[in-house]
Amino acid sequence: MKGLTHFMSGAAVASFFLPAVKMAGAEQIGGASSFILCLGGLFGIMPDTMDFKMGQFFTKSEYEIDPDPMDPDPQEMAEGLGKAIDQAYDTNQTVQAQMYPMRLGADLWRQYVINFDGKTNEVVIVINEIVTTSQVPILGSEPPPKKRVGRYKIKGDFNITHGRPSVVDIMSGPMYGFFKNEDGKMEIEFLPWHRTWSHSYVLGLFMSVPVWLIASLIAGWQIGWLYGLIAFLGFSVHLTEDLTGHMGGSLLWPFVKPRCNGLSLFRASNPHANFSIDYSAVVIILFNLNRFAPTPMFTLSPFKYFLYCLILPLAGYFAIVKIFGEKGKKKKAGVIAMEKALAREELEYEAEEHMAGDM
Amino acid sequence: MESWIEVLLYGLAGTLLGGFLFVVPSIHFLNFSGVIIALWGHYHGLFPIEEPLTLFAFFMGMVVSFGIMNTIPSMFLGAPDESAVFVVLPGAKYMLQGKGYEAAMLTGIGGLLGIFFLALFTPFFFFALPKLHIILGPHMHWILGLIIVYMLMSEWPKGTGKGETWWIKLKGAWANLFAGIATFGLSAFMGFLIFNRTMVPVSMGFQGLLPVFVGLFAVSSLISAILSKQKIPHQHISNDIDLDYKTMWKGWMPGCIGGTLAAYLPGVTGGIGGLIAGHACAQRDDRIFVMSQGVSKVVYYTGQFLLFFIPVTMFLKGSGLKRGGMAINLSPFYKPTLLQEYFFIFGIVVMAACISFLLLSFNSKWIIKLIAKVPYQKLSYASLAIVVIMVFFMPAMIDGAINGETMLSGLQVILIMCVSTCLGLIPIFYHCRRSNCMAVIIVPICISMAGYGPPLVNFLGLG
Repeated sequence: MKGLTHFMSGAAVASFFLPAVKMAGAEQIGGASSFILCLGGLFGIMPDTMDFKMGQFFTKSEYEIDPDPMDPDPQEMAEGLGKAIDQAYDTNQTVQAQMYPMRLGADLWRQYVINFDGKTNEVVIVINEIVTTSQVPILGSEPPPKKRVGRYKIKGDFNITHGRPSVVDIMSGPMYGFFKNEDGKMEIEFLPWHRTWSHSYVLGLFMSVPVWLIASLIAGWQIGWLYGLIAFLGFSVHLTEDLTGHMGGSLLWPFVKPRCNGLSLFRASNPHANFSIDYSAVVIILFNLNRFAPTPMFTLSPFKYFLYCLILPLAGYFAIVKIFGEKGKKKKAGVIAMEKALAREELEYEAEEHMAGDM
Repeated sequence: MESWIEVLLYGLAGTLLGGFLFVVPSIHFLNFSGVIIALWGHYHGLFPIEEPLTLFAFFMGMVVSFGIMNTIPSMFLGAPDESAVFVVLPGAKYMLQGKGYEAAMLTGIGGLLGIFFLALFTPFFFFALPKLHIILGPHMHWILGLIIVYMLMSEWPKGTGKGETWWIKLKGAWANLFAGIATFGLSAFMGFLIFNRTMVPVSMGFQGLLPVFVGLFAVSSLISAILSKQKIPHQHISNDIDLDYKTMWKGWMPGCIGGTLAAYLPGVTGGIGGLIAGHACAQRDDRIFVMSQGVSKVVYYTGQFLLFFIPVTMFLKGSGLKRGGMAINLSPFYKPTLLQEYFFIFGIVVMAACISFLLLSFNSKWIIKLIAKVPYQKLSYASLAIVVIMVFFMPAMIDGAINGETMLSGLQVILIMCVSTCLGLIPIFYHCRRSNCMAVIIVPICISMAGYGPPLVNFLGLG
């Protein structure tokens, strides 16, 4: 799920605690108010923060593919990535490869696309146009057809279930982890450093201990536990929500290290899923704030409240999405450019075949 | 009840004046309202005192036209250069593709959709918002706290990740994050200074934030435009806009959410509201973003002022809802009590929006012609000169006199503007979010709402 979704969910979970809500609204009774409910949100976004702001920079890769921005060789790049896969195939060990972006100047980057073709078991690299930092392509800046596509056929077979081409242009490139599964097929792990140690309930528990201790020293032992508990629950709700996607997490790291798969209900970036959860979090927070207010503003039963404020509006939203929503998946501009380049390559190949046949 | 024709004429005057005035970079309706009110003090015939709604109609016309028209200076005259990477809005991207006119009209259509939203939500404002305010009122500080935490936590590293050691990788990637945190912290500190130690002449009152905001956002952008030597390509003026109902809906929804958040939450601007709503709806399309910005701005500026017209009788304590500088500036003059006043003012809103939309097209066209004739850098220098002169003479305009005292005050506000400009340049040079600068207002409000204001002021030695 998106960062905001985890953040809102963490705050919503924190709002279920009467003492926390009372402390947050303490100014009503003449005292200074607490920010304890923010702690749920803070720890809700913490696992991804640890990954993207810290963890990724400590991860080592066996292969680093850093193409020459002035004269990129797609064949060399495909071979570099392919060799990493072959090494994993031969050694039965996980091999990681880091791809880097091609920076041409302060505001210019060379875009390329990486595709793992499950049908032909090939690594395909397509070099696209030069793009600005705003990802606007400069028309006509793509390399000549002969220097545009690189292919490498791997030794084994890919096991690709939900792969999408990766477009690399500005700022950073992806890291892949390759390993052979029990069926002898090659698995591709996208961002192998993501959702591993940082997405563990055990780590969440461990991280909530200092929160409990510090809060207890400042606010007293009788209430410090609540800070620790809210931090833990905020952290945990993130991990649980992530299980709805494809990637899952290493939920019991360091005791069980491999990353389990998610339920694959929807993509983490699905706008409708994210919006529904954000909206639900707001509705829940309002319900709890009213419930714990000295004089509640409304006295609807929970059933009626959630029916009128959550279920019916979301049903309306999804009805609109169903009727007017996009049919099919929208492709990135870089992927479309890649498909055009590959189609052109195929046409040229066919044309050469015909020419050879005529001769 | 006032003569409706008179109210309408004042609304029209505000709209037309704003329609041309807000094309000039960094003229804000709040600052202009300060000048107008000061002028009213000298020339009492400006607004009939027995018909206070005329004053409100005039300013409502101005607020609506600002919401729609300020696209022009920000998109055509202050376009940040490409090096300002993630802060370059897709609107500027359109501009660099020669489609600035289309982007401006998209925001204009968004503005009209924002007005439609305000009409649609009028029953909500009347019946649900006062009740919601009772529930949320005591919790405003931590809601602002949540926004602050999210603003800081949701900025991600932008380094390429290249480096032989983990330290080099981490250092490169964290450069923008450190810059963002530094901008946020320094802006918050500056906010405390501004709110607790008046550094502008007392007579400027609410206009005290003028030099700060002008420095943080306008001057820094203009300096960046001058340094970057950006060349603006030929702008194509299209006869039609490529827009379907799906895109409109997708832009409308986040825009309405962002604008409503900003209109209701103190210290939260349309930009921050738009950022959060954009994340909530997870929309990535540029057209959607440009349109949602148009919706968000109008819902924020107009909605904020419109909340003031919800009859005070609808609120339990009869205090009404004052959000934004305009409502605070004008509240001493009148307290709306009748339902008819709300609808009267809403009529002005609709009229102003329609006229402003037409003016947006007209103004965009002549600005595009100007950009084609005058080199962009020269235009940026001219804009910078206008901004500096305007800020310098603001105390004189408010006092209605040019003398030694107002000149000295002018120097004071220029100094404040210089400091805030330095702050505003950090995000541009280090590629972090410019919304971090908004800590100047959101942090002091949050802290004082939580009740920690006085101890912190004492701790900082500002008491």
